[in-house]
Amino acid sequence: MAEIQIQNVTRTFGRFTAVDDLDLVIEDGTFVALLGPSGCGKSTTMNMLSGLLEPTRGDILFSGEVVNKLKPGDRNIGFVFQNYAIFTHMSAFDNIAFGLKVRKHPAEKIQQEVHEVAQLLGIEEMLDRRTTDLSVNDLQKVAIGRSMITKPGIFLLDEPFSNLDAGFRSYMRAELKKLQRELSQTMIYVTHDQVEAMSMAEKIAIMDRGQLQQYGSPDDVYNRPSNRFVAGFVGSTTMNFLPAMLDHSGDDLVITLPIADSRPVTVHPRGAEDGSDTFTMGIRPEHIELVEPGSSAASLRATVTLLEALGPRNIVHLSSDKFLFRVAVPPTVRPRVGESVGLELDTRRVHVFADESGKALV
Amino acid sequence: MRALVTTARALLITLALFIFLFPVYWTVTMAFKPATEWTPTSGKIYWVPDEPTLDNFRRIFGGTPGGSDSFLVSTPINATDSIVNSLVTAIFGSLLALIVGTFTAYGISRYRAGGKMLGFSILQLRMFPPIAVMIPVLFLWTYLQLFDTRLGLILIYGAVTFPFVVWLMKSFLDEVPREISEAAIVDGCTQFGAFRKSVLPLVKGGLATTALFVFILNWSDFLIALVLAGNNVVTAPVFLSQINSAATGQEFGSRAALGVILITPPLLLSILIQKHLVRGLTFGAIKR
Repeated sequence: MAEIQIQNVTRTFGRFTAVDDLDLVIEDGTFVALLGPSGCGKSTTMNMLSGLLEPTRGDILFSGEVVNKLKPGDRNIGFVFQNYAIFTHMSAFDNIAFGLKVRKHPAEKIQQEVHEVAQLLGIEEMLDRRTTDLSVNDLQKVAIGRSMITKPGIFLLDEPFSNLDAGFRSYMRAELKKLQRELSQTMIYVTHDQVEAMSMAEKIAIMDRGQLQQYGSPDDVYNRPSNRFVAGFVGSTTMNFLPAMLDHSGDDLVITLPIADSRPVTVHPRGAEDGSDTFTMGIRPEHIELVEPGSSAASLRATVTLLEALGPRNIVHLSSDKFLFRVAVPPTVRPRVGESVGLELDTRRVHVFADESGKALV
Repeated sequence: MRALVTTARALLITLALFIFLFPVYWTVTMAFKPATEWTPTSGKIYWVPDEPTLDNFRRIFGGTPGGSDSFLVSTPINATDSIVNSLVTAIFGSLLALIVGTFTAYGISRYRAGGKMLGFSILQLRMFPPIAVMIPVLFLWTYLQLFDTRLGLILIYGAVTFPFVVWLMKSFLDEVPREISEAAIVDGCTQFGAFRKSVLPLVKGGLATTALFVFILNWSDFLIALVLAGNNVVTAPVFLSQINSAATGQEFGSRAALGVILITPPLLLSILIQKHLVRGLTFGAIKR
């Protein structure tokens, strides 16, 4: 068990800055997802936590101790790699036992602990098999077992499920979450899949271009994105964005949309204004409702261009002037293409971002 | 049409096999031919020995074939020392190249050691025939008192085959995901421990293939051994070239006998590591 402190950590490769002044405290026993697009610096961060890479600047502390110079093997961590990094020349048993064998534990103890771990993961009957005969799903379990065997205080998982088929992936997500609860260890999980991050983690750290964008609970990052990047990255159907004109003469913010016949939207500002001249309004597809085009609740009118029937809900694509919208509706709502509808915006769920800094005002 | 292709392919393979195997066949049969059958002086080509004999083998190991009154008798010769010399220099020279080369390849493959150009600058060592620099090396070796010593040959064999090891092993090591060694390091291995326990077992097929290839090169060297040694240290190929006698001139049979002996070690080695050899040659199919 360990609290992780990442203090102003920067890592450069030549002239390229992979991680830029990262500052993050991960509480002991938390399940954290490190989320971001490819190349955002999340793997570099993991490699610095594991000790495979040294930070160019800044400190990494485990339980209050600086570990910058500590070798990976001395950091008391478990690492699960995206491609499992299974030692294919060994049996499943030898793979799991590897960490103990390297540390020269007695054979009896190794035998006992490997069986305990295998039982926990449900792979006891595969221990004697060669890893080349195991399925991808079982290999993943062996890899997790290998990282668990030394009872590390910190688990690092680098996109561990991206090679699994969808069904087994959701099963493994649940298993891993259960496992983390049982072991109550700090677990950091890298993923570029926001659904995975939202469904598993207690806290999500979102990174982009080497910088931390937001660190908070899934609820925080979904409902209160701190900037435009987070707003656009989180959410299974991307947030609708459109340019907005602001009037903040009163306490409330009045947003005027650049669409003819649209009604201004009034919202309560959350953050301070930062001197930006132009603004973008954002609203999630699930926070817009389709109403009669003439309805007084409708902020604007739009024409249906496409209907995506996803099963549990439908996504309606609409256009209004030159702007495109996506609206999530229940599966029973099936507007025809070409139909004219009114859009009612949930004003409590409207976000406003300053264009220059990307920061959220609302 | 398909039958035609199959036939053509079979013919082509037969032709290739004939070209490659005929010299071997000729050497092996020659080794067992008596002196009268070596050349078609009697107007007859002997495809197989008429009167098979072991005289050629006796001759190269100091024996006097056909009794003491045989016309073949000249100064007795013995190839034992030269075979030992060849074994020692080829084995240790190859080991030297393999050890240094594999570590170099690992550094280049994993850590881009030496930047982009190191691999290439090592390769350029083979862009001219090694014999082109053997005269300068001869002076250097003389100065270092390595001329005409086994150590001298071991060092030069190691140096000459080193680029091959680097490039072959680099291609094999490139196939091993870097996470394999990283996983071992996270589990507490040292850098070397991770290499030995996690990476090396995965490339042992490639290592065996490389070892055989390098050994054959060193084992069959004639020119370098001729220039840098040849007095105290005579290797088998050099010895072979010197088997002559006043009575018969070129002793084809005795040479063929030694040739048969020289074919044996690489042949045995390749049979021994055949499993790895196939794996080494079909590398790239490593399971991720």
